[in-house]
Amino acid sequence: MKAGLEVHQQLRTGKLFCACPTELAEIPRARFHRRLRAAGGETQSVDRAVAFQAARGQRFTYESTDSDCLVEADEEPPHALDAEALRTALLVADLFGARPVDEIVVMRKLVVDGSNTSGFQRTALVATDGNLTVGERTYSIPTICLEEDAARRMGEVDGEPVFRLDRLGIPLIEVATGPEISDGAEARAVAGEIGALLRATRRVRRGIGSIREDLNVSVPGGRRIEIKGVQELRLIGQYVDREVARQTHLLAVRDRLRERDPPPVPEGSHDLTELLRPVGTGPFRELSRKGTVAAALLLPGFAGLLGPTTDDGERLGRELADYARSQGVRGLVHSDELPSYGIDPPLLERIRQELAAGATDGFALVVAPDPGVAARALDRVRERARAAVEGVPEETRDPMPDGRTRYSRPLPGRDRMYPETDVPPRAISPEDLARARADRPERPAARQARLAAAYHLPPELLLKIEREDRLEPFEHLCGLGHPPALVARLLTQEIPTARAAGAAPGPSWTEADLERLLDLVRSGRIAKEGIAPVLARWSEEGGSLESAVGSLTFPPMSREELRERARAIVAENRALLAERGERGVSALMGDLMRAVRGRRDGREVAEELRAAIAASRTESGTP
Amino acid sequence: MADPEIPERPERPPEATWATLRSIPRGSEVEILREEGIRLLGTLVLTTESPDRRTVQIKLPSGYNLGIRWRDSDRLLAHSPPPPARGNAPVPGHPPPASGSSSGTSGWIGILSTGGTIASRVDYRTGGVRPVQEEGEMLQFYPDLDRDGPVRVIPVLDRLSEEIVPTDWIDLARRVAVCFRDGARGVVVTHGTDTMAYTAAALAFTLSDLPGPVVLVGAQRSPDRPSSDGYPNLLAAVRLARRTDLGEVVVVMHSGLSDQEFAIHRAARVRKMHTSRRDAFRSRNGPPLGILSEETVAWSVRPTAPGPGPVRIDDRIDPRGCLLWVYPGLPADRARAFAEGCRGVIVAGTGLGHTASTHLPWIRNAIRDGAFVGMTSQCLEGAVDPFVYATGRMLLDAGVAFLGDMLPEVAYTKLLLALGRSGRADDVAAAMLRDWSGEVAHRRQVTGQGDP
Repeated sequence: MKAGLEVHQQLRTGKLFCACPTELAEIPRARFHRRLRAAGGETQSVDRAVAFQAARGQRFTYESTDSDCLVEADEEPPHALDAEALRTALLVADLFGARPVDEIVVMRKLVVDGSNTSGFQRTALVATDGNLTVGERTYSIPTICLEEDAARRMGEVDGEPVFRLDRLGIPLIEVATGPEISDGAEARAVAGEIGALLRATRRVRRGIGSIREDLNVSVPGGRRIEIKGVQELRLIGQYVDREVARQTHLLAVRDRLRERDPPPVPEGSHDLTELLRPVGTGPFRELSRKGTVAAALLLPGFAGLLGPTTDDGERLGRELADYARSQGVRGLVHSDELPSYGIDPPLLERIRQELAAGATDGFALVVAPDPGVAARALDRVRERARAAVEGVPEETRDPMPDGRTRYSRPLPGRDRMYPETDVPPRAISPEDLARARADRPERPAARQARLAAAYHLPPELLLKIEREDRLEPFEHLCGLGHPPALVARLLTQEIPTARAAGAAPGPSWTEADLERLLDLVRSGRIAKEGIAPVLARWSEEGGSLESAVGSLTFPPMSREELRERARAIVAENRALLAERGERGVSALMGDLMRAVRGRRDGREVAEELRAAIAASRTESGTP
Repeated sequence: MADPEIPERPERPPEATWATLRSIPRGSEVEILREEGIRLLGTLVLTTESPDRRTVQIKLPSGYNLGIRWRDSDRLLAHSPPPPARGNAPVPGHPPPASGSSSGTSGWIGILSTGGTIASRVDYRTGGVRPVQEEGEMLQFYPDLDRDGPVRVIPVLDRLSEEIVPTDWIDLARRVAVCFRDGARGVVVTHGTDTMAYTAAALAFTLSDLPGPVVLVGAQRSPDRPSSDGYPNLLAAVRLARRTDLGEVVVVMHSGLSDQEFAIHRAARVRKMHTSRRDAFRSRNGPPLGILSEETVAWSVRPTAPGPGPVRIDDRIDPRGCLLWVYPGLPADRARAFAEGCRGVIVAGTGLGHTASTHLPWIRNAIRDGAFVGMTSQCLEGAVDPFVYATGRMLLDAGVAFLGDMLPEVAYTKLLLALGRSGRADDVAAAMLRDWSGEVAHRRQVTGQGDP
């Protein structure tokens, strides 16, 4: 088999063709409705994928937010390519050893599913001929592109898809590998490495949906299948392996069909509405509704090939159902599933008679709200069934959460690309390249090694700092002489905890704020244990660090005072200590720490508590 | 990126290679080898040459275009002529679908094309747009135009609207009149949006006793994109042109950002108010005549009913008029020089219709020499009034005609026609103050904060 990857990573620069922020927005400010139609490109021929989508005559709703403008609404021409995004793309090209093109030409890639208000996605080839080494192997990176993200699909209202414009125009870097990957595990490793390298630029967005993969898979004798928009890295392997299984199964079905050499799937279909109306259960319950029809298509030679013939559950019946669904029917029943769905053997026999089905013939059956939908759905089923004799049709498929994929549309060809005439070509100068390389990040592996040597922290903690994008403040604060363990805890635990507990949207502490906080610890004004209460108070009150510390400041606590507090707590909780032993000690430690409020070091608190417990046991005579 | 020390020299003299590349036709398949060993295979899109730079743009098999800055070390390894046009490609100029120009039948709609975005397509060679002229091409671009009855596409002009001149208005008016005389039920004019409001006003002032609608329509997004407003606008315009209750010149464009409602604007009241939005056209000093939705029209103003015909046309025009936008610091000498040789001047004044008092002398002289000077306001909304401030009274005393709530561009258009109709300043002044086609109102109702 051959598989290739396209990794799409959102950038957190400005939007690609306007001055909008790249934050997603919660509240729509305005709505409008549009239709899209297929338009001829440079060559004046309409791409098959585009024609397929436009044929639906769909209307779309768009929601405008604070994170979009007239450009996203397709009400203003695009501005020049965002300089930061371009710089980042050139930096990424450099990281993959790719050659930047001399002149970037922004293209329009036709997409009329509504996810782009213009009816196309703007995309540009930035660099070619890169490579990536993962473990022992080196993979080619034929292209690196810079493109705009699509609008967010929010659902449907009355059958009309609703898209939000906040995501539209966020820059995406697309890194594509050659078709050199041989299994799912390898695909996952390569995707992980590409992601790590992109994150190393520190100019990428984080979180769900900020990185998406397209997978191109084909097996010998099969055709190219594109699985579009995989968001979960952990499922990549599964998608690839399942796709291989699916194509292998389809090829096996093809071979069986060829052996049988049946006549082609006939034109026309059979109306079974009257025959099936009395069934009244499952999908046939709908038939009681006026206008609803049941129609069937004879599939000569398909008997036994529609259901599962292998253990992994791949079946042609599901493929036919996906094609039928693309025309608006809810599903499809095929002959290998019957008798079932309330169709008993005698009724099945009558259906077979009606269709004049022979022993090796199968059929497909749809229930549709009107005869037009039924006819269109069966047209697609016929098309798909005829393709089964050829093997695997080229398709774009959607990833499903269970690791399977589902047919979404035909694979687009080159006819869908033509130049974006509103944006002049952008020449790449030596200065552009120098500027991009100026802040070339360390390679992830090299950086891990350096950090481990410099800070002596557990590798998992260092990884966490990196993953949470806190490496910059971490290194800065450590550079000022603060203990790495303390800085790490502040950044990875105490701040996130205080933020989570505080009021939304939460304070945005600057690096300077954190410097002052750590200085207070260094000068002994607060103990390290005092950091959490100070942050909590600060988050609650807003205002300055100093006022938060001020409102938390109690008269300093002497070692003697600490000792007395410890003794008092132990005296009050003798029963608890006797009953719960060590666990009781931890509970008292917590109580005592709260009472101390960071005014003494935790180590001292523990010492005094232990001493008080020891003393109390001596007094009462227990061992 | 160029490394001057690459020892390997191209096999052919560099000039010959570039010369070959430049001379082969666009669309040829080319194979280019670059010094770093990169081999590029693709379709030649264009070559450009300036004294310091040679670039070639190719389209890769993936569909992406990229630009190559040609270096002496680059080599053109192979090239082959463009493949023949593809099977499913509709060829421009191809005969239109059968019903397209079913002339002879009554009740047809004339579609007069003048150029502009709505009837243009992208020229991928230059990146610019070029007009769609032939009927076949128009119907290919806009199928369904003849869904409800026959249409005839008649090319009149081939211009972006910023290139249109006043005499073009007259040619267009004559062509509209011919359509009605030949039995058209209505006429649609496709027009660039930049100066569509001028043309609309000119047609309204030139044509009278219209037996049916004259609908000007344009597009703010080019038709080569799936989201173009040209198609829905044109379908709406043709639908409106079939109506039997409308006998005036109107502009039909999107009323908002959605592809579902279209505003019907009275020709002498409309203005392009946005550089790029679909709903750029707005009626000033009142609501649009109505809103056309997919099925119905909701009129907010009673439209002019069709006349019994035949249509009348007054095609006299004198282009010796001008439109002067005053601003702080405009020297009186410069304004005077601008207006020199004109038989009429429309001033777009400030506020209620003012200029700095330094302009009074040249205005006084111009009027004394027989020119007409009319005052409008840069505010666009509201009427001018000479009596509120002393400046206004002085201008009035100098002989300036205050033109109510007439838009500056509409007043300018009307001026050229009024000048064509009479050689006497008094007649021109009287004509300018008379309402010809709803361009002046004496009543402005209270509306909300924003636009109607």
